[in-house]
Amino acid sequence: MNFKENILLALAGLKANKMRAFLTMLGIIIGISSVIMITTMGTIVEKGLAGVVTDLGVNNLVEIFIRQKEDSVRTTIEESDMFSDEIIEQLMTRFSGELQYIAIQQSVGGGTMRFNREDINMTVYGYNSDFIHIFSTDLLRGRYINEKDIQGQKSVCVIPDDLALKLYGSPENAIGEILSMNVAGGVKEFAVVGVYKYKQSAFGGVFSRNYDIHIPITTARKMINASPYYSWVDFITYEDVDVIKFSEEFGEYVNERYYKDNNSYEVMCYTMAEQLTSISQYVGIIQGVLSIIAGISLLVGGIGVMNIMLVSVTERTREIGVRKALGAPNSAIRIQFIVESVIICAIGGLIGIIAGVLLGNLGGLLFDTSAVPSVGAIVIAVSFSMAIGIFFGYYPANRAAKLDPIEALRYE
Amino acid sequence: MSIDKKAIIKMDSIYKRFYIGTPNELEILHGLSFDVPDGEFVSIVGASGSGKSTLMNIIGALDKATEGNYHLGGTNISLLNDRELSEIRNKKIGFVFQTFNLIARTTALKNVELPMLYAGMGSKERIKRAKELLELVEMSDRAMHMPNELSGGQKQRIAIARSMANNPSIILADEPTGALDSKTGHLVMDIFHKLHKEQGKTIVLITHNQKLAAETDRIITLSDGNIVSDEKMSGNAVYTLNETVKEEKPETESHDESVILTDKTSGKDGQ
Ligand SMILES: Nc1ncnc2c1ncn2[C@@H]1O[C@H](COP(=O)(O)OP(=O)(O)O)[C@@H](O)[C@H]1O
Ligand SMILES: [Mg+2]
Repeated sequence: MNFKENILLALAGLKANKMRAFLTMLGIIIGISSVIMITTMGTIVEKGLAGVVTDLGVNNLVEIFIRQKEDSVRTTIEESDMFSDEIIEQLMTRFSGELQYIAIQQSVGGGTMRFNREDINMTVYGYNSDFIHIFSTDLLRGRYINEKDIQGQKSVCVIPDDLALKLYGSPENAIGEILSMNVAGGVKEFAVVGVYKYKQSAFGGVFSRNYDIHIPITTARKMINASPYYSWVDFITYEDVDVIKFSEEFGEYVNERYYKDNNSYEVMCYTMAEQLTSISQYVGIIQGVLSIIAGISLLVGGIGVMNIMLVSVTERTREIGVRKALGAPNSAIRIQFIVESVIICAIGGLIGIIAGVLLGNLGGLLFDTSAVPSVGAIVIAVSFSMAIGIFFGYYPANRAAKLDPIEALRYE
Repeated sequence: MSIDKKAIIKMDSIYKRFYIGTPNELEILHGLSFDVPDGEFVSIVGASGSGKSTLMNIIGALDKATEGNYHLGGTNISLLNDRELSEIRNKKIGFVFQTFNLIARTTALKNVELPMLYAGMGSKERIKRAKELLELVEMSDRAMHMPNELSGGQKQRIAIARSMANNPSIILADEPTGALDSKTGHLVMDIFHKLHKEQGKTIVLITHNQKLAAETDRIITLSDGNIVSDEKMSGNAVYTLNETVKEEKPETESHDESVILTDKTSGKDGQ
């Protein structure tokens, strides 16, 4: 009795009992799909986080922001509560060994323009010249905002490559062009000095495309009459600095030095590194829960397979007797039932893989990324479910093999 | 018939006891001894419960005697292990059952192939031989039919073809006509006679039907686990194919049609 015959036989048996076969597979399907979901999700989260990391160069980012003290007297923030250019200057000097760059930002708001009967939506931000290091993307053409632009409050801008392509045909054509848009209550014109490579952010894909336009921070302030005080500032440390540890020290120093006598506000430090660690921990917990579900369903599924195989052996007692009368050795009967059990589990495993990939990617929509499990993961999942088939199919198969031929033949 | 022929079945004081929990023991066969020469067509008759099937199971190496020696073609069956017994059943013996016992959801052809599959024969050779056997029992046109699409007589012919698969020395048939009407039963008997006459098969037939038994070479009568008579049939009682068929249904010309008609109307279509 060869394998091909056994497989065909098992498939014929399953076909005759489709509903039962499906219900038997359910545990295996749930178990394997959980396993695949775990790996798919892991890949997706990794991809998403990798996106975040390169987007902002965040591993060395320390953000400092002001918040109300627990016993605060006032609820309104005043200029004296915020960071001034002077404080920032002092901090950069004091921590020159740790702090490499500083990023400050002034949001101007939305800007629009009509182009080829289409409304183009943009968001305008004022940045300092260091921002290019934090916004670690490739500058494709031209240059970034420099100190001269900031000193002179120049009307220059840096635009994303896809906008350049749309408006001017190519990034190189964009340089020197004048971008005219409706922003901050009037039409403003900016000379395009640079084009950066647009990278889809990890969470951005859900919304329609809105182009970020970078202009000098001083220009931005002038446009909306903003004062040079900040409620938060991003610092980038040197690469060898332990950001989590440094952020604690840094926060304590700032509070001690500048906020001791402030009756309402203090500062807090926040690091992306810490945040990423907690996201990974969170994902780890989800994966752990799924693993337990997977383990339990595979166990329950395996027992279900064993149960149905025992039923199948009982139902086919007479057939087993006939096969033995025709000369089937015990091993052939054993293999026949093990193959059947393995096939149930393998089909369950395959359905589980498909379900797992679909469900995993459903979660992936949130991150706007998709993942297919590796060939290795599929091979492992299928082999594992087949191993379950062998493990839980062995006992019923062995019982069939050891049936006494006479009793089997007499079975009613 | 011919005493000079070598005995293919040699039974020497065969006892069979069942233990239905000590100290109850049930002795079914009380020390049977007989030989069957190669090529003999022997029938075993006796009342229900007299031990015919039990004896048949021992002859067929499905069961072992509790006591006594059984030699099949020179091999002492009592000494064999499970694996060797299955090989004996596969190569040396062909079973035909009262209830046909075809494997469900498996075509007639695959059913006939089954013993060859267990013998490890290659698929081409197997299919060729299975087709020949179906031809022998005139069932070629039903090769691809499932058992539940066949009449009782057709199933039994498939079962006989299956019993012949590995060209066994002995065919054991336990009431093969028991679930068939008499006309169909005769057609099945025709096949046994053909196998006996043309291929020289040793056939052991269990039957309730004295008429069918009388067509064979020898009748062994069992009663309560003892052989009460063992008589060789004289030449004049020996079966001739045409006579019997004429006697039973003189008006019919085609066997096949009558089989199907009879089976459909009588509804004897067990599996
Ligand atoms: N496994 C068994 N356990 C107990 N008694 C059995 C068993 N098999 C058969 N018998 C008994 O042996 C006797 C002979 O049975 P069997 O050989 O089937 O008779 P026959 O085929 O002549 O009708 C019966 O009384 C039956 O009840
Ligand atoms: Mg019987």
